[in-house]
Formats: sequence, structure tokens, C-alpha cells
Amino acid sequence: MGLLAVVVEVVTAVSLLLVTTAAAVVGPERLRRLRWTLRGRVRGALGPIVALAVVLAINAVVRDVGLELSWLVGVNVTAAIYAVEGEFVAWFQSLGTPAVTTVLGYVYVYGYAFLVTFPLVAYLALEDQRYLRATATAYVVNYGVGLVCYVLFIAYGPRNYMPDMVQSLLYDALPRFQLLTSEINTNTNVFPSLHTSLSATVALLAVRTRDIYPRWLPVASVLAVLVALATMYLGIHWATDVVAGLVLATGAVAVASRVHSI
Amino acid sequence: MTPPVDRPSTTATRRAVLAGVAGSMAATSGCVSRLRTVMGRERPDPVTVTIKTVPADDDPYALLIARQLSEWLRAAGINANVLPMASEELLRQVLVNHEYDLFVGRYPDSTLDADSLYSLLHSQFATEPGWQNPFGYANLSVDDLLARQRTTDGDERRQAVADLQSTVARENPFTVLAFPDVIRAARDDRYSRFGTTRSDEALGMLQLHRADDGADALRVTTTDERVTSTLNPLLASVGRVGTVTDLIYDPLVRRYRGERYPWLAESTTWVEDGVLEATLRPDLSFHDGEALTADDVVFSYRFLRDTASGERNRAAPTMRFRGRSTLAESVTAPDRRTVRLTFGEETDSVAERALTVPILPRHVWTERTGEPRVGGLDLGGGTTEALVTANVPPVGSGPLAFVSATRNDRLVLKRFADHFLETADTPALPDAVADGAAFEELVMKHVGSDSSAVDLVDSGDADLTLAGLGPGVLRRIGQADELDLLVDRSQSFYFLGFNTRRAPYANPRFRQLIAQLVDRRHLVQSVFSTFAAPAISPLARTDWVTDDLTWRGRDPITPFIGAAGEVDDAQARAAFREAGYQYDEQGRLLGV
Repeated sequence: MGLLAVVVEVVTAVSLLLVTTAAAVVGPERLRRLRWTLRGRVRGALGPIVALAVVLAINAVVRDVGLELSWLVGVNVTAAIYAVEGEFVAWFQSLGTPAVTTVLGYVYVYGYAFLVTFPLVAYLALEDQRYLRATATAYVVNYGVGLVCYVLFIAYGPRNYMPDMVQSLLYDALPRFQLLTSEINTNTNVFPSLHTSLSATVALLAVRTRDIYPRWLPVASVLAVLVALATMYLGIHWATDVVAGLVLATGAVAVASRVHSI
Repeated sequence: MTPPVDRPSTTATRRAVLAGVAGSMAATSGCVSRLRTVMGRERPDPVTVTIKTVPADDDPYALLIARQLSEWLRAAGINANVLPMASEELLRQVLVNHEYDLFVGRYPDSTLDADSLYSLLHSQFATEPGWQNPFGYANLSVDDLLARQRTTDGDERRQAVADLQSTVARENPFTVLAFPDVIRAARDDRYSRFGTTRSDEALGMLQLHRADDGADALRVTTTDERVTSTLNPLLASVGRVGTVTDLIYDPLVRRYRGERYPWLAESTTWVEDGVLEATLRPDLSFHDGEALTADDVVFSYRFLRDTASGERNRAAPTMRFRGRSTLAESVTAPDRRTVRLTFGEETDSVAERALTVPILPRHVWTERTGEPRVGGLDLGGGTTEALVTANVPPVGSGPLAFVSATRNDRLVLKRFADHFLETADTPALPDAVADGAAFEELVMKHVGSDSSAVDLVDSGDADLTLAGLGPGVLRRIGQADELDLLVDRSQSFYFLGFNTRRAPYANPRFRQLIAQLVDRRHLVQSVFSTFAAPAISPLARTDWVTDDLTWRGRDPITPFIGAAGEVDDAQARAAFREAGYQYDEQGRLLGV
């Protein structure tokens, strides 16, 4: 299966998830109104959205350069992370079953993509644009700090450090997704886990908007926890990366709330 | 200055003070000197060993060996950790800058010969960057033996090589671990005869037959991202055996499966003692259409010795081929098709090794003798453009020519229609490759890991996994009907290299003791899933190996301290103590 086919598959699946969840969480009334006010709202949140687009674009361009730069100035912390947490990920993975692997594999790919795109749709549907701006800002902080960390810290994930104990479960169970992740992630970019930090960011923002979207909070929290677990279970991230991701998420949400006073 | 007689009282007071100071100094001097004796002694620190290697995506075996090793070292009270890094970075840190304690790697050349040890161990190369003596090893008697095997024949040479092997096994600048049985996966619906190819021999691609006439391209996978970005034949690589540049660049004489075949040279003759003449085939050309003449050959030999072409007071030699390029004392071109090489004391068979280095186009490389510039900046460093260039596109004269390279994606080569394999009826060539390539294009796809390599072959998007695969994918290959499992015995070994420039690795006893913490039999079972053969001598796969260094279940020189993969802690510590090392209260081995 080629890369294009995998991309089409993921986009289709995530779109379906977005539409159904939007219907249940946002509600038909808000969505209908969104149709009339879409242009104005996008314009309202233009600043942070453009910033996010720019950071994503820089991220894509700088990734290769960053990798080279990283070997020039970065510190290889792989051995240090292993010294801290040892074989925790191996132990965690040993608890799994093939069913768990499949579920967490899909959570890692579909679930994550859905989780980070849904808030953009849901908060766009609100008249109060602060949440949309806050989300975009928080994402910018996540990506920005993440990128700097990737340059400063070189770290290989557990599957690359202890392949005897930690299997590359995602690649073994759902190998087609490897096409996708190898396009996106280089194997030295593990500290911190951006999967974790972005998911946690979404969950933390869901807490702030629980009065507006009460149904979103449980979905976001459960998914965020599963994504964090999946990154470790699939052998991609260390527990240290996940903890660092949570810290980053907390910081990013704090910055975003301050800036947009939510 | 005031004379002291004018002010006696002051003088008296000053004298008294001085006397007092002197007295107290005398009293404390014993204490200070004692303090200096005590403080001046540096306290020995616990030994910390960093084992550098590549991550599992690049080479799962090297990483697993390093991790197992670190556990064995820890059992003996040595704080050891494993630091994985990209192969390009490993190359830079280990081979170029010599910044390492220990590293786990694979010997990069599959055509190993007794004389291969010359460049690997001779002290003349200890300061050079590259695969020549990366250990910084210097031993006069080893130097003598290396020189002797170059200048003697028959039993005398055999004796020298035998002595060399046992000295090296005792001195242990590097510990040979095992020769892997390389696992590959192939599907034979488009091309066939994969079984006759070898993993560490790029030329083997030419042996394949086309099974499906519609299949123009042979598609292979590689996990080595450098293949798509760097095609410089002069650069060393770590863990890449059977490099693709072998297909792009031709030597005068090609070594193939232990035999030498006339290649660019149609014949070679010893015209007098120490002087060899090679006659080039008629009408040779490079991929860009320029003629390949004796001038290019002369240039190549000079260039390999010094890529700065004598323009600087310091030579900038290549990172490979040093053993061979230092053999010929002079190379001249009496006419366009004749090359004359003059050798020193070396025997004919050793001297002929010099003929197997790649021939470079003069018109391309002659401009690469200057210092490399980055963004207009001259960063110096004693290197030349030739030694840092990615060399894309490469211009060679080999059976395959460059088409395109997309970083981290793919490399495409095509059949070079003007190559003599394609045009001439050339009886003196190895049969299997004499007809040239059966494919129009060779597409090498970069993949992130072994499992996606297998996946591509399984789904029909690739025909062969080029490099060896880790044991993790064995079951998948076995379960897939379409996939053929290929296993071949590699000629290149995994080893543990010591930086003998540093304490405590400069101490041969320390190196011996580390070697004694290695259980090769266990490594072969646990790391290689038995797809490897333990070895003691680097020449174990040649007929140079001596009887007492042949693996028979144990290492006779540095036997494992322990059993069944478990280090005997107490015995290991006793052995280190006996060698003069000490342990602190927490049981950590102390350096000196």
C-alpha cells in the first residue's frame, strides 16, 4: 500500500470521526450558525491560526536541517533516559495483548489526528473566539518548544534502544502506518513526546470549556490518556518523554490562557 | 632607597617581624608539603565506559551486542552505558575524531585478506581519520609482522600471519565477536536467482535474471539513509558492507569471491622485478562520455594517497583503501592505455592488491583538492573537498550509472550501456556477471526499519531487501508465501573496538579483561538467534586462520569469566584486582 493510500485512509477515517463527534458535541444548532459566520470567525482568529500554519511550515522545512543541526549542537540523552527509567516501557509493553496493540495502534494514528483537529472545529463554532485562539496559541507553543528540544536533545526511543525487549508494535501490527510516521517523525525526535503534549493540551482545554461542551471533556480526556499510553506501549516513546510532554502541555495551556484570558 | 642605618628602630622592628614570619613558615612547611603530597594525588575515579553504536533501525545486532556487553561490564563493577547514534555521526565521532571509549561495529570490507590487517593495525595510520587503524593501536612487533607478511612468501608469510593473529588476539585492540549469517527477503516473480547473490557483495546484483520481461527496474530496499545522499567512494562507512559505489566505480582488477579478475585492465604483467604494467581495455569511458585513459588511473593512485595533491604541506589521505593505496611507490602512464606501477619489497600477490582500488575521473576530482567551504567559510580542519563531498551525481565507469537521488527516499541507477560487460565478449570475467545487468534500472528505496522493508517486498513494491535484516522479522518472512528467505554467510565480522589512545583502554591487560567479559556463544544465541558464527581471528573466514584460533566452543586466549552468558562477578573482580585495578566501597572499578 502506497503512502497516498494510507493518507487517504487516515483522512477519511478522521473526517468521519470529526463529523459524527461534531454532531454530538457541538450540536446541529451551532453548526448551522457556523455556516453563516464561518468567514468572520476565521478572520477573527486569523493571528493565531496563521502563526500555527507558519510554525507547522517551519517545522516541515526545518526538520531535516534541524536534524543535522541537532547532531552538531545537541546532546545525546538516550543513555541518560535509560539510566533514569530503565526497562519500564518493556514492562509496560509486556502487559499487552494483540487486541490492545490494535486498539492503541489506531488510537495513536486515527485517535491522535482526530483529537488535535477536533478542537479547531468545535471552538470555531463558538461565538466566543478566545478558545479557538487559545488552542492555536497552545499548539504553537507545543510545536515551537518541541522543535527546540529536538535540536537540543538527541534521543532514540525504546524500540531503537532495547529491540530485544521492546517491539516496534505499531510497525509490526499495522505496518502500513510506518509509511506515514516515517514521513513525519525522524527516529531521533522522541524527547519530549509531542503526541502526548498536544493530546494533553486538548484535554486541558476541554476542562476549561466543560460548561460549553460537557460531552467533549470525557472524550478528550480518555483519548489523551490513551494516546500517552500508546506512545509508550508501541515502543515509540520513553516514560520520560511522556512526562516531559505533560509538562510542556501544562506550560502551553498556561501561556495560552494568559494571553487570551480564558 | 633609604639606607637602614638612618632609621635603626624601624629596621629592628621589621627584622623582628620577618623573623617571626620565617619562624612560623618553618613550622608550617612540613604541614604544607604534606598537604601538597596528599592533595596533589588525584583520586582514582570509577571507570565509566560509553559504548557507541548505531540504533536498532540501522543495525539491530550492533545495538543488541552493545547492550549485552554493557550488562556484562556492569557485572564486573564497570559503569557502562550504550549510546546509539546515526551511522554518519558514529563515523564522525569514532573514525574521524577518535572520540570514543568502545564501539561496536562491523568490518566494512567483505574481501578480507591477510594484508587487510596492515591498514587496520599498522601504527603508521594511528593518527589518520578513517578505517585505517581506528583504534590508534601502536605495537612495534605487530608493525614488524605486518611488514614481514608483505615481503615474504609461502611458509614464511604463513608464519608471519599466524604470529600476527595470535599477537593481536592477545593484545586485543579490537575483539572479534562473530561473523553474521545475513538474512534477506526476496520475491522471485520479477527477477530470479537471488539465492546466488551475497549480501555483502554489491556486484551480485548483476547475477540476477529477469523473470518478467515487463519488469524494467529491480527494486531493492535499504535502511541506510546515506545511500540516498552520499555516494563518495572515498568516505568510510560504518556497518555498510558491499557498498553501492562498487557498482558505480570500477577498479583495474576486481576481486570477486576470492579471485581477482582483470576489469578495467584487460591484462596485467610483471615486466620486471617490482614493476607491473596494466593494459587498459580499448575505448573505456566514464558515465559522462569522457574517455577513461591511463591518465585517470595515474591521477587516481596519487589522489588516494593525498587528496590535496601535494598542494599543502600536510597530506589529506582517504578514509578507505589506505592499505592498498600506500603499496605502489610510483604510478606512471607510458601511453594512453598503459599504466606502470612500481612497488617496493612487497611480494607480487600483496602488490596486486593495489589494483583493486576504484578509478576516479580526473576531470571531476581534480577540482576537489582544496579545503572544503561551508557557506563560503573555510573551516579548514586539514581535510579536502574530496573527503567531505557527497559526490552527487557520481561519475564513474562502472556497470551502473547514476540517474537520480532523493534524500531519505530513493536512489536510482541505470545500466551503463557502454560498459565492457555489455559490449565486449570478455572471456576472462566471472561467468555469473559477464553479461552485465539484467535490469534497466536499479531502484534503491530507503525504508525506516526492517519490518517495513519486509512489508514492501511482501506487497510486491520491492524485489529484495538489500541489507541484512534483524532476527525480529524472521517469522514474518517465513509466514508470507510470496517471500523467499535468503541466508548467506557474511565475510565481514562484528567487533568491539577499543580506543587504545585513552586510559584505561591503552592497557592491553584491561582490554584482555574486557574481552574476557564477552561470551561469544551466548551472543550468537541471544543476539543473532544462532544466525552467526563466533570467531576469534578477523581472518576466521579465510584460509589464513590458524588452528589454535579457530573457534571450538571457547576462546583459548581470553576465555569468558563465567558461564552461559552470566559473568562470575567475584571471579571477574578478582581478575581485575590481579591486573592492578581496585574497587571502591560501592564495588565500582576504579581507573588509574
